[in-house]
Amino acid sequence: MTLPLLVVLMLLNGCAEKEKFIVYGPSQNGSEVEALIKEEDYVERSTVIYYDDSMLVAVQIKPWEKWKKAKLEKKLQKKFEEKYPNKDVFVSADYKIFYEANKIKKDQIEDNKLNDKITELKELAKEET
Amino acid sequence: MEKEQYQQLEQNVTPKPPYLKNVAKAFFVGGLICAIGQAVSLFYIIFFNFTEATAGNPTVATMVFFAMLLTGLGLYKRIGQFAGAGSAVPVTGFGNAVISAAIEHRSEGLVLGVGGNLFKLAGSVVLFGVVSAFFVALIKYILVTIGVVSW
Repeated sequence: MTLPLLVVLMLLNGCAEKEKFIVYGPSQNGSEVEALIKEEDYVERSTVIYYDDSMLVAVQIKPWEKWKKAKLEKKLQKKFEEKYPNKDVFVSADYKIFYEANKIKKDQIEDNKLNDKITELKELAKEET
Repeated sequence: MEKEQYQQLEQNVTPKPPYLKNVAKAFFVGGLICAIGQAVSLFYIIFFNFTEATAGNPTVATMVFFAMLLTGLGLYKRIGQFAGAGSAVPVTGFGNAVISAAIEHRSEGLVLGVGGNLFKLAGSVVLFGVVSAFFVALIKYILVTIGVVSW
């Protein structure tokens, strides 16, 4: 009885130790961005991709806050636009965008391909049907 | 024997339906179906270019297709017997309603039998779905026009 419980606890612990706030890009103001997202307590996990003058902010919102997903997305978008007025910021709470952002980080995609990839993701996020 | 007497007698004889057990069965089987639906949705998000917003359509289509296949093989009615509303309320129940009506009326011919009866039960689902969607959209439109909520 105790053994399965122990295994489950260890597995859950493993989940918690995963890196939750990832910033990918030239490391100048990485920690600043991270702190900015950590201020918002409704964000569970996030991956930020930034290069040159654009920024892709992919977040996952905590389960009970997901009712207000669209609103929180807009709020975060506004916050980032105010903080980085000369950057092209794109915030998304969609799982697909989050998944692809993590993939970009994992595969270490280079600059010229990165641009195409992010444009593609932005187009994708706009689709409604 | 009077009418009331008979009714009382009938109520005494009829076995009590195990409500709690039925609810539990429906809850778990319905939840299982929804978990499979979530898995299908994640499959479309990860392996195809669908977002959370757009993955709903192919997911519904796939779930209905699964239910139709199971109905055709005669397995869905067993799930239905076991779980009741748990198997009828999710969208899979819609696929089951369409195909079981088609199978039932196959002997009456392809046009008047299958074609005419295909939406016998599912037709009301479609009708009330469309009508309620219209009214919800109308209410939302009015609320947006007044300025209570935004799109």
